[in-house]
Amino acid sequence: MLRPYVRSFVLVVFLQVTGAVAGLAPLLAVAGLGRALFAPGAADPDRIRAVVLFGAAGLLIRLVCTAVSAGLGHLLDGRVQLGLRRELAAHLGRVPLGWLTRRGSGELSRIAGDDVAAVHPFIAHAPGELAAAFVVPLVSLIYLAGVDWRLTLITLVPVLAALAHVPLLMTPARTRDQRDHDAALGRIAAAVVEFVQGIAVVKTFGGTGRAHRGFLDAADTFVAVFTRWVRGVSTVAAGMQLALSPAFVLLVILTGGAALIGAGTLAPVDLLPFLLLGLGLTAPVAALGHGFDDLQAAGRAVGRIRAVLAVEPLSEPARPIRPAGDHVEMRGVRFAHDGAEVLRGVDLTLAAGTVTALTGPSGSGKSTVAGLLLRFDDPAAGSIRIGGADLRDIGSAELRRRVSHVLQDVRLLRASVTDNIAVAVPHATPDQVEHAARQARIHDRIEALPRGYDTILGTEATLSGGEAQRIAIARALLADTPILVLDEATAFADPPTDAAIRDTVAGLTGRTVLVIAHRPETVAGADTVLTLREGVITR
Amino acid sequence: MIRTLLRVTGPAYAGPMRRTIALMTAAAVAEGLLLILLVPILRALLGGDPAGVWQWLARFAAAVAGYAVLRYAADLAGMRVGTTMLRGMYHRLGDHLARLPLGWYGTARVGEVSALAGRGLLAALGVCAHLLGPFITACVTPLTVVAVMTVVDWRFGLAALVAVPVVVAVQVGAARASVAADAATAARGDEAAARVVEYLQAQPVLRAGEQDLFIPLDDALRELEKASRRQVRAVVPVAAGTAVTVQIVFTGLLALGAWLAVDGSIGVPELLALLILASRAADPLLSLADVSGKLRAARTELDRLDRVLTTPPLPEPSRPVRPRDDGVQFDRVTFGDVLHGLSLTVPPGQRLAVTGPSGAGKSTMLRLIARFHDTGGGTVRVGGADVRDIGTEHLMSRIAIVFQDVRLFDGTIADNVRLARPAASDDEVRAAGAAAGLDFVDRLPGGWDTRVGEGGTMLSGGERQRVSIARALLKDTPIVLLDEITSALDPDTESAVHDALERLLTGRTVIMVAHRMRTVRRADRVVFLDGGRIVEDGTHDELLELGGRYASYWNLSMSGKAAGKTSGK
Repeated sequence: MLRPYVRSFVLVVFLQVTGAVAGLAPLLAVAGLGRALFAPGAADPDRIRAVVLFGAAGLLIRLVCTAVSAGLGHLLDGRVQLGLRRELAAHLGRVPLGWLTRRGSGELSRIAGDDVAAVHPFIAHAPGELAAAFVVPLVSLIYLAGVDWRLTLITLVPVLAALAHVPLLMTPARTRDQRDHDAALGRIAAAVVEFVQGIAVVKTFGGTGRAHRGFLDAADTFVAVFTRWVRGVSTVAAGMQLALSPAFVLLVILTGGAALIGAGTLAPVDLLPFLLLGLGLTAPVAALGHGFDDLQAAGRAVGRIRAVLAVEPLSEPARPIRPAGDHVEMRGVRFAHDGAEVLRGVDLTLAAGTVTALTGPSGSGKSTVAGLLLRFDDPAAGSIRIGGADLRDIGSAELRRRVSHVLQDVRLLRASVTDNIAVAVPHATPDQVEHAARQARIHDRIEALPRGYDTILGTEATLSGGEAQRIAIARALLADTPILVLDEATAFADPPTDAAIRDTVAGLTGRTVLVIAHRPETVAGADTVLTLREGVITR
Repeated sequence: MIRTLLRVTGPAYAGPMRRTIALMTAAAVAEGLLLILLVPILRALLGGDPAGVWQWLARFAAAVAGYAVLRYAADLAGMRVGTTMLRGMYHRLGDHLARLPLGWYGTARVGEVSALAGRGLLAALGVCAHLLGPFITACVTPLTVVAVMTVVDWRFGLAALVAVPVVVAVQVGAARASVAADAATAARGDEAAARVVEYLQAQPVLRAGEQDLFIPLDDALRELEKASRRQVRAVVPVAAGTAVTVQIVFTGLLALGAWLAVDGSIGVPELLALLILASRAADPLLSLADVSGKLRAARTELDRLDRVLTTPPLPEPSRPVRPRDDGVQFDRVTFGDVLHGLSLTVPPGQRLAVTGPSGAGKSTMLRLIARFHDTGGGTVRVGGADVRDIGTEHLMSRIAIVFQDVRLFDGTIADNVRLARPAASDDEVRAAGAAAGLDFVDRLPGGWDTRVGEGGTMLSGGERQRVSIARALLKDTPIVLLDEITSALDPDTESAVHDALERLLTGRTVIMVAHRMRTVRRADRVVFLDGGRIVEDGTHDELLELGGRYASYWNLSMSGKAAGKTSGK
């Protein structure tokens, strides 16, 4: 997932570590100054000047390295996020549509948005800080051990005390709290998408103040989980913070140093490097502790991103077969939603060039039949063939050239009218788009919009349900495929439009059409009428 | 920043918030002050009096213990305030969103609001729990340390003080430089989030397309990356500025100390204590850039939250008026370019059908009655009272609406029906369901407890429609608004729902928008709307007699039906 970025990544980490190590120089300079001043005889100005210059040089290196690595790290982070989001988008465009519907756009958009953003500390901060957190104490320790190994061990006491808290952050209870926390946050995102999209319903039933309780419940659950999580962590975190606080570290070193000096086994001037570097020992550990939450959150976010990327996309044939003709045949097709079998062996034939109407009570699986013919999902059993070739062997590109659709639930894009109509045929000329719009009886309405065909839908103008449906019909007409699936295509049209569209569809001679219909009028003019009842064709 | 936070969260949290800030400041001051004890301790140790050090060390230990207590209390207070505020905020946001006019909700809002409710709220309130403490420490501790240094040796204190105005200037500059960049990144983030939702929901359409790439989404993602690039360019140099200042001053102090010591005008233990103090002041200052960067990010979220919460909801009357009866009246109502001076009176108990071509303003009429928007001009009255004077709560208790585009919540079917009257018993919910023809529920594996999925996608259009009729039945209001509701029903279901509808409509004021002429025929009165005006008004028979627009609709629809019957075999 992150392979292409490794080289830049290594550079960022290298700079960060170099900068952190160079940051020790000014502290060593202070200790060096102390030694020079306590040296027997008069202070040596050259030695003192060298010490000051050493400190200044270290500062400069630290500064440059830190600034450059921070800049590079964040730029890299931006690139990684872009790459991940593109990969997710491309993948989600290929997974079975049924899976997409079940997961919900709220949760998936959170993965593509927040979870990818949560990778940030992983890329821009954590690795460098982690490396620095090991390298800097190591360098300091080696130096200090050279001065006095006993005081070095004493200096390590606060660090060890802090590290001893770390396992407390990873107990099963903590891990569970954290998982609950993430899940609850996911539910909030899903609840808010529903809440905002269903706002009209919220407003009608909102009188009791409880209509939006789905959102509030999700929020309450989250806050409860969050509070439990924070409570569990906060005592541990406070303990860690105290152990690492400069005040406590100084206290430990001074006490140890005083004891050793009092016993006459430590030169007083040798205490200085401990007072300076000893504090430095804790800084990266503190950074590690601070970044620990972020890092764990990032780890879980990466897990969820991986899980989405691991969903098997609809298979593409290695060698696509070209269908011979537009004859459609379903044999023994079975399909289940969440364990409930919707289709129980559907046999259905659409003779090339004929109009077939499929009726049946709502919930009988009519829309599922349409979805399978469009290969939104693959059937659990049985086969669907166009011109003798199984859908799975045709390949998505050829399938698109063969089949287009108008579905019950029309989604308009926040884009110009032209782009909305030409979504399947981006290279269509304006004349072709207009022709399709006229055929779908929506041209006049479009002309009445503020900027005609250039009007951005959703921001500059909003279309009614019936109008949106006619845009969808224009889409399908423009795509001009030999096979057409219409699911309740004129449900919201007024009678003149309905009649006109029926005329248009009737005029599409030579096409293979499947009309899913609730209303008898829509069935008018069909060559064959089939009825779906409880998952099988009854006629 | 704190002021915005308090405005966003409401005045209830001002007290606890102030106490928390006071505790945090006290802890930060203590952390700086206790360092003054380094001077006598080092003097004893380096000056050859190791036995005299213990009394000072004991005081130091006591000071550290005092500091630890303050710090723990401050952390705990921060956490408490943070979590209570979080709950309060979710409720405030949720309640406010429900009160905003429907006109506020565009397509892009879904992305913006969901980002706000998820990441945004947490980031904004994380300020209290995680950032406020470190920020106060980073500001207050160095200042205290500088004060301590001044007490020990005024020359050192003065030299260190030079850094203060520079660091402040750099911080202010950083804030200015990044405000625009942060806001731009946040806006691009919203756009990208909205595009992702759009992309996912439009999959059925997009998959019919030739290209694999959804250009608007890819553009939005690339714009987001570009914005974050600009943000890095704006912030990193200024962040480095703080570090440069702090480090130059530290090097200066080192040189000054060396010079004074060689000069003999400062004792060596004092000098070393001062330099250790200086390194203590430098560390928090260096973290200031990092902390304030995070604070700014939180601030961006906070400002967005503030903007949403300060968007005025539809004004509520201070003294609500009760409607006299259940009549509905439009008095010269205009609305955008949809309605142009519409006047219409519907007496209580009348069943009015509104028909006409798409875009004529039929659905808008219903929305104005329910006050989803306020009119541009003129008045909508219910029971003689202006809907603006009735108050949303009471208005909604009188009206039930069944929409054309039914949205269900991701809960069980029972939950969705019960939404209309949360206090309803299970039996009442089931009775409403049965009356609305929800018999399919019994065939579902989970029965009434079956979850309907996001937006109700697990149910078919007709099934969703019936759930929404059941809601209206359960709500049992004197006024019923129906928006094109039988369009998605099959004939079997429609006749099943017919009885339910009759039950729903009898004895109530009904305004129904309809294309289906069968539905229209059952109305007491029909108005034909075109271009935001009433062009025909009368009973079904009168309008047929008139032979105008309505008559032509009726004839077309009947001919379709006849054709349907003949070819239906």
